[in-house]
Amino acid sequence: MSEPSFHKLAPGVIRVWQWSNSISNLFFLAIPVGYALFFGYIGSHLWFIICSALIILTYWLLSIVWVPFLSWKNWRYSINQKEIDLKHGILFKTRTLIPLSRVQHVDTRQGPLFRHYKLSSVTISTAATTHEIPGLDRVLADRVRKQISTYARLAEDDV
Amino acid sequence: MMSEFERQHPVASVSRAFGLIRGNIVTILVFLFVGAQSESFPFLWWIGGGFAFLLIIGVANWWRFQYKMDGDTLHIRSGIFVRKDLYLTKDRVQVIDISSGIMQRLFGLVRLDIQTAGATSRQAAIDAITNVKALEINRILRDSHTSSSEPDSGSKIADIPDSDFLKELKLPLKELFIAASTSGSFGIALSVLATVFSQIEPLISESELFEYIISVLPSQTDTMMIGIIVFMFIVFAWLISFFSTLLTYGNFKLVVKEKEIIISRGIFEKKRVTIPYNRIQAIHVSEGLIRQPLGYASVHLESAGYGDEKGTGSIVLFPLIRRANILQLLNDVLPDYQKEMKGLKPPGRALRRYIFKSAFPITVTTGALYWFLGLNLWIWLLPMVSLLWGWLKYRDAALAWGDDILLFRSRKLSKSTAYIKKKRVQDALIYQSLIQRYRNLCSVQIHVASGDRGKSFMVEDLEYEEGIRLLNAVRKNGINTDNHIPERTPNGILLPGWVSPVNTF
Repeated sequence: MSEPSFHKLAPGVIRVWQWSNSISNLFFLAIPVGYALFFGYIGSHLWFIICSALIILTYWLLSIVWVPFLSWKNWRYSINQKEIDLKHGILFKTRTLIPLSRVQHVDTRQGPLFRHYKLSSVTISTAATTHEIPGLDRVLADRVRKQISTYARLAEDDV
Repeated sequence: MMSEFERQHPVASVSRAFGLIRGNIVTILVFLFVGAQSESFPFLWWIGGGFAFLLIIGVANWWRFQYKMDGDTLHIRSGIFVRKDLYLTKDRVQVIDISSGIMQRLFGLVRLDIQTAGATSRQAAIDAITNVKALEINRILRDSHTSSSEPDSGSKIADIPDSDFLKELKLPLKELFIAASTSGSFGIALSVLATVFSQIEPLISESELFEYIISVLPSQTDTMMIGIIVFMFIVFAWLISFFSTLLTYGNFKLVVKEKEIIISRGIFEKKRVTIPYNRIQAIHVSEGLIRQPLGYASVHLESAGYGDEKGTGSIVLFPLIRRANILQLLNDVLPDYQKEMKGLKPPGRALRRYIFKSAFPITVTTGALYWFLGLNLWIWLLPMVSLLWGWLKYRDAALAWGDDILLFRSRKLSKSTAYIKKKRVQDALIYQSLIQRYRNLCSVQIHVASGDRGKSFMVEDLEYEEGIRLLNAVRKNGINTDNHIPERTPNGILLPGWVSPVNTF
């Protein structure tokens, strides 16, 4: 059996992830700030605050500079008449197989950031779980959605 | 005919209030726990006020709940603020259950549950209705049933065994007692006890009886006192869980029919569940920590669409059964499932991962507790036990697939063996962490539909190639012969392993 042909996400999704990570991960800084307010910043407390702040800042920088790119690089999706195949993850790799006859509905979603970069996400729901292909070109996302729902209808007739 | 809107019997409001209590027991317990701390607000007021509030909700629900038969459509209108109109047509109705709880039986009423086709539809229920009306609704919705699901149903009442009645299984009294004494609902009972105790504790410690006991007891240390209290708590919790299991699973009866199985149970509160075969998504056998050494297990099934209040589709198919009889039971209930097949175990190099993952968090926690709380040295027994736990998890992990079926066996605390038809698999995943990639291992997981949500089954740290082959096995829906597990593999095993292979062949 030949490996299905895999596609990548739109490169624009890197930007979206950079923005969203830069905002959401900033909230981790609340940990040292809260600690400082609660325990003060004298002696060993100061060390704890400096260390944790450094770790969080490093994580924050990485989550902007490096992680979105790696994440994009590791994302693959493939859709054919029988199944949807998703691969993603940087350290923790996940591969998901969804038989098309199990797909209940597909829709496209667009948050404000996605809209700005003219991207969409495709969400695929089965009776048990929901999976997402994040960040496809808007036109492509619509085409993928139509393709999946057509295939799903065909697959349902088979069973 | 009932062409006008009708209300239920007023007792429905009370049973609704009780239903709310049962559905939110954890929240209520938390509230009582918190409420008990405040001095200004007496405890009894909390209980009384809370119950009055629930009763008002119950009455309002009863007032706003109306139903009528409109030709062959049952129309239910409900909701206190948001009106909901539910139309149940004959050809959509799949299962009608008539049952009765204590409340209903006191007033000579029954409860009517209607499940419709469609994986995610919630059931409709009429809580308190006279038997005559229930039977009439049942007759109208079910009688001239032309759909293929019930070709020769001549029965007017769901309770009468139909012509397609195949088998009836009961839970013997001895097994009921074993089930009750080994049931794992300790934890719930303990939390209930803790709440009650926190309420009556001031009363006890002020009473003369308490002082009398203190004076009578031989001179005791604090640790011994705590030990005695803990021991008594456990005994009480055990008693509670013993009797609650006894009441829940007393009169257990499993009826196997051609198209469906019917499970009825309960001593005071009778429950009846009908599960059509096409709803069954997975079946899993659970061997608990106490039950496994005694050679017992319980059998559960996952059903789509049937949702209880919590929205899970897990149903106890049989509360307790000897390990040697499991296959017989499964053959009786689900003859079309392949039961025995060749399977795969995690390779030997996965053992250290299993042991590490079990022992590491426990050792760290123990260390921290020991350091900060200055606990007894005996606490270091826990990490030792966790080593054994990791080894057990490794030993019980296995995966297998046949022509149209998958078998997942794993252990968290109890050992679980799950059978899933390939066509019921909603999705299949393989995971690889950085270390797993280095060691060429992977974890596999599948989801099946169950109730409103899904349920997942997982086996960790298999050979990576086997994970890929599982994906291919799921991919080829239905019969496939080119992807069988080979006769001889280094990690081969014969599953499910409840009976020694000598006896089976």
